[in-house]
Amino acid sequence: MSDKTIAVKTENLWKTYEHDGIEVHAVRDVSLTINSGEFVALAGPSGSGKTTLLNLIGTLTRSTQGKVWIAGRDVTNEPEGVLARLRLQSIGFVFQAYNLLPILTAAENAELSLLLQGMDPAERRQRVLDLFGRIGLNGLEDRKPNKLSGGQQQRVAVARAVVGEPAMVLADEPTANLDSHASDELLDVMEELNRDLGVTFVFATHDPRLMERAHRIVHIVDGAVASDEVKTVQNA
Amino acid sequence: MPFGLLIKLALRNLRRQMRRSILTAAAMIIGLALLVFSLALAEGSHQDWIKGGSRMASGHITIQAPDFLRTKKIRHHLDVSQTESVRRMLEDTTLTDIIEAASPRLTILGLANSPANALPVLVLGVDHRIEPFFSQLNEKVVEGRYLEEGDRLQAFVGKTLAERLRLDIGSRFVLTAQDASGEMAGQLMRVVGIFSLGLPSADQGMIHIPITTAQSWLGLEESVTSFDILLESTEAEEVAMATLGALEETDGVDVIGWRESLPELNSAVAMDNFGNYIFHGILFAIITLAIVNTVLMSVLQRVREFGVLRALGLRRREAGMMVFFEGMLLTVLSGGIGITLGIGLTWGLFRNGLDFTALMDTDFSAAGTIISPIIVPQFTAGQIIAAVLSIVTIGALSSIYPAYRATKIDVAESMKFET
Repeated sequence: MSDKTIAVKTENLWKTYEHDGIEVHAVRDVSLTINSGEFVALAGPSGSGKTTLLNLIGTLTRSTQGKVWIAGRDVTNEPEGVLARLRLQSIGFVFQAYNLLPILTAAENAELSLLLQGMDPAERRQRVLDLFGRIGLNGLEDRKPNKLSGGQQQRVAVARAVVGEPAMVLADEPTANLDSHASDELLDVMEELNRDLGVTFVFATHDPRLMERAHRIVHIVDGAVASDEVKTVQNA
Repeated sequence: MPFGLLIKLALRNLRRQMRRSILTAAAMIIGLALLVFSLALAEGSHQDWIKGGSRMASGHITIQAPDFLRTKKIRHHLDVSQTESVRRMLEDTTLTDIIEAASPRLTILGLANSPANALPVLVLGVDHRIEPFFSQLNEKVVEGRYLEEGDRLQAFVGKTLAERLRLDIGSRFVLTAQDASGEMAGQLMRVVGIFSLGLPSADQGMIHIPITTAQSWLGLEESVTSFDILLESTEAEEVAMATLGALEETDGVDVIGWRESLPELNSAVAMDNFGNYIFHGILFAIITLAIVNTVLMSVLQRVREFGVLRALGLRRREAGMMVFFEGMLLTVLSGGIGITLGIGLTWGLFRNGLDFTALMDTDFSAAGTIISPIIVPQFTAGQIIAAVLSIVTIGALSSIYPAYRATKIDVAESMKFET
């Protein structure tokens, strides 16, 4: 993943909902470019539209107006089936509530996208084991989600998001359900993956700790980009 | 989506709601077992009716001259050449293995006259060597004996008929009927035996006489009015009809199945089948609704999970397929157990017959056949296929709507769904 490759780009993006005949603009005229390898926070208070923007970037919902490019490809009008394949191959998701499948073990959850891609069992298991070793989940491979702590579950979710080596990982309030210690651990993991493997992370957050760690903060206010601040990154 | 993943997810999802899955499976197992038992019982009773009706009448298949079925006139008989052709055909090995008895008969409507009364009767000129294997009337003797070698003027008479004509063993009476030339012809007969079948039409108006006597009385030489064929099993009818059907082309005879020759019995079986279809339909509907409920609940409780899977790259149709497969798996597994259990229990407990004597007291007749109070359940390949198809149909019907719902889940909205 070259630093100069564009992971996602939006142009004059709008998302408008209609409630009782009144139009509500959840996202307003957002033009944004995120390069591969970035560690970006979409920051803003609740209801500011950051989750909606994340959903638009992640092709989980369609824009009312404007365009979205993922890894250089215009996906604005692609049919749902094509978008599903695109998500499988190019986008990883981390959700606030972890959203692991309770019927699968930690390792099975992590390898889910590889399973859907039809990867060879031995290869996908090895890839998951390597990843688990890197993010401190060694020995937890066969545990069901209900036998894991919140922090562990979220790390499994991160593993699930990055295991397929996507163009970017979109994380919606990933630390919101975690205590400060677990949050720090999770951020360490994501920072390490970004630094060492070049994984692009885009967060929707209002967690100051996460904003502090982000290399770039895009402030969203009332659905629009209020500011776009790139910080100087100090290598550890 | 890899098939292995589909099976893994379906099985684990079913296991996750173990109690609900077991309850639904139990409904399916009991329902299918009941269906198999009911089908076997219906098949057993129908086979019994058909065999009994065929035995008492013209067999599973009857070969006659055209129009004889409609007119019952002696002039519509099989001539000597046709009779010989039929005899030769009956020696075909395809037929000998599936035919229990083939009886040449000369059947005529006539009048029985005694000093006391004159009553319409159905006279059957029969071969006494074959008839015991066909109508088995020799087992229904209440007085005297059945026809034997050397009998010429001996008659075997229904009990009610004998009573009405005031005939005893050794009594003489006269049979009158139209002969082959259209003239009225009479034949003096002597009662050699009296039977009671329990079938009013037979007891009140049927007489067996030697076929040679009937032929000379009616001027038919070696001819007969029909060859009545009793098969080992009703299932053999198709093969027998196909083989014997050739005679229609070559010899101009009519080859008639029991459905046509015994329309009352055919209607009775059809009516009973119709009643069974309604019962099975209700059973199907209940089972289907139970499965729909289980699978749909499972989908509605996992909206967020489906959202996650879709976000990870599962296509809409794959999400639907996952649910469909889950429903099918539940149905097929429990249905398979149900069918096996149904066959096992039916065979294990009732292979010697289900005895309804307490309800029926004795045999009774309907639609020209005797209904036995003991029903022996029977399985056919058709039943098993029907039961398996039922499972697939129930599985498919009950999974379609939940699967459709799964395809319609909005990914972004599903994340707001509380689990």
